[in-house]
Amino acid sequence: MAGTFLSNKGVKWAFLLPALAYLMLMAILPLVWTLSLSFTQWDANTMPKPKWVGLGNFEYFLLKDKRFAHDLRFTAMYVGISVSAELAIGLVLASLLSQKFKGKNFFRVVYLIPMACPPIAVAFLWRMMLHPDIGVINSILQAVGIGKVKWTTSPKVAPFTLIMVDVWEWTPFMFLALLAAFQALPEELYQAASVDGANGFHMFTRLTLPLITPVIVTISLIRAIDAFKLFELTFGITGGGPGSSTESLSYYVYLIGMKWFKLGRGSAVSWIFLVILLVFAMLLVSRFKSRELTVKAR
Amino acid sequence: MIKEHGIGRRKPIGAAIVFVVLILFAAWTLFPVVWAAITSFKEPGDSYKATFIPYKQFKPTLYAWKDAFVTTRDRTLNSLKNSIIISTLSSAVSLILGALAGYSLARYEYRKWKNKDIALWILSQRMFPPVAVLIPYFLIMQNLRLLDNIAAVMMVHITMNLPLSVWLMLDFFADLPADIEEAALIDGCGHMKAFFYIALPIAAPGLVAVYVLSFIFSWNEFLFVTIFGYQKAMTLPVMIAGSLTVRGLDFWKVSSLSILAIIPPVILAMFLSRFLVRGLTLGAIKE
Repeated sequence: MAGTFLSNKGVKWAFLLPALAYLMLMAILPLVWTLSLSFTQWDANTMPKPKWVGLGNFEYFLLKDKRFAHDLRFTAMYVGISVSAELAIGLVLASLLSQKFKGKNFFRVVYLIPMACPPIAVAFLWRMMLHPDIGVINSILQAVGIGKVKWTTSPKVAPFTLIMVDVWEWTPFMFLALLAAFQALPEELYQAASVDGANGFHMFTRLTLPLITPVIVTISLIRAIDAFKLFELTFGITGGGPGSSTESLSYYVYLIGMKWFKLGRGSAVSWIFLVILLVFAMLLVSRFKSRELTVKAR
Repeated sequence: MIKEHGIGRRKPIGAAIVFVVLILFAAWTLFPVVWAAITSFKEPGDSYKATFIPYKQFKPTLYAWKDAFVTTRDRTLNSLKNSIIISTLSSAVSLILGALAGYSLARYEYRKWKNKDIALWILSQRMFPPVAVLIPYFLIMQNLRLLDNIAAVMMVHITMNLPLSVWLMLDFFADLPADIEEAALIDGCGHMKAFFYIALPIAAPGLVAVYVLSFIFSWNEFLFVTIFGYQKAMTLPVMIAGSLTVRGLDFWKVSSLSILAIIPPVILAMFLSRFLVRGLTLGAIKE
């Protein structure tokens, strides 16, 4: 550690404080405020001031509200299936394509498109294509003899429609991340295994998979945290329907707080949501903690 | 050097199958965007039909584009302007704050709270659900009389992008050798000078990458803008949502507006192609 870098205390805080202060003010303070509101009833349309109700809101969501329970189940199912499917497809594609081939850069650019698009544009374009009567996908399915699918009009199908769009949007990310991870693997190991007579399948299950498992866990957690915040696809494709079959937690919080203006209830459900995500966030953060990330100045 | 992992050396027939898989996956990935591009050149009546080939199956027109840039010109240009201003400025602020904080965490030692704890705490701010802060933000913006004002949207977008910006800049600076700055400091150069004239230029590629990534996130953001920029301060994503009317979804309109909103971030992502995965995996995977 060089003394020069350590000596100037003023400078190091002057560099760090603006960002810290901004986050305190714009991220922590609002969350504390939400917590204090969560013990109140404040229907802003009819009540000028919040009224203290203690744990009433938490009791309502955790014990009574069937809609919250449903939305939590739907969101969890959405995250579980989407992330597993993206991982599985990404893994198959990446293991097929890990060697160099012509036009790799072309394909890389194509696969970047879904994740660069505004999610709300993705949602509305799919809503258009999946229209039950005049959408292009049902027209094609009918032309090849499969018939129309009730993509957004059946409460049984609609949740899987959203999952399909999520898979469209994020499989390329999994694929490209895994491809990069594959290419970082030490080649000598494979040469040695090949000399020892291992076949491709063995190399994949005994060598590749164990080596990239840490990467798989990290990117799956990142993806799961993101998918848990599902909002745009619900908003754009189904509006939460039919019924509330595709209503995500984010969408429910949005409805309670910003559409019905029940600010107390909305704050409580925000915090429940936050705590659920915190579990995933801690898992992810602990992975980054174990990674070597030290101060570089010697 | 040819790297082959997973499934050993491939016969020509295997390579052909791989190529077919790639093409099919690319077609599936491109289809919605291509379909939107086609639909944006259709008349309203044609836009509800499954026709693909212009001139042969439908008569291409500029109807949707004229609607966007002539009939509802003011609205479109206002949204476009807001999108550009909000993304440009909010990413600039989060880059500046992020570079300063990232640099300090990479180069100085913090004693009371360890560098890593501070960095991870900042990173964890990235993970909480945006809806959790809607209510307090709404009350704050209402009190500051900033509802439907691009300043409110920018403040929120800075908060959204800052944690990632700090984290990735830390990652960049930590990868760069500190020798030159140290030498300069020993020669009597000030800390500020060392940062602005030595560290920043070396980290230029990282700065550009983080800026562009923040720009894309800000450009694409929808939830906060619908609430804090619903009309005057509306951006393109909110305008896209506006193509859903009581009559239903105007296919031609949602197509042209989506194409308009998709082009800038996709072009930026292409320039950033290698960094995008690094950024989205929070630096866990470096290409």
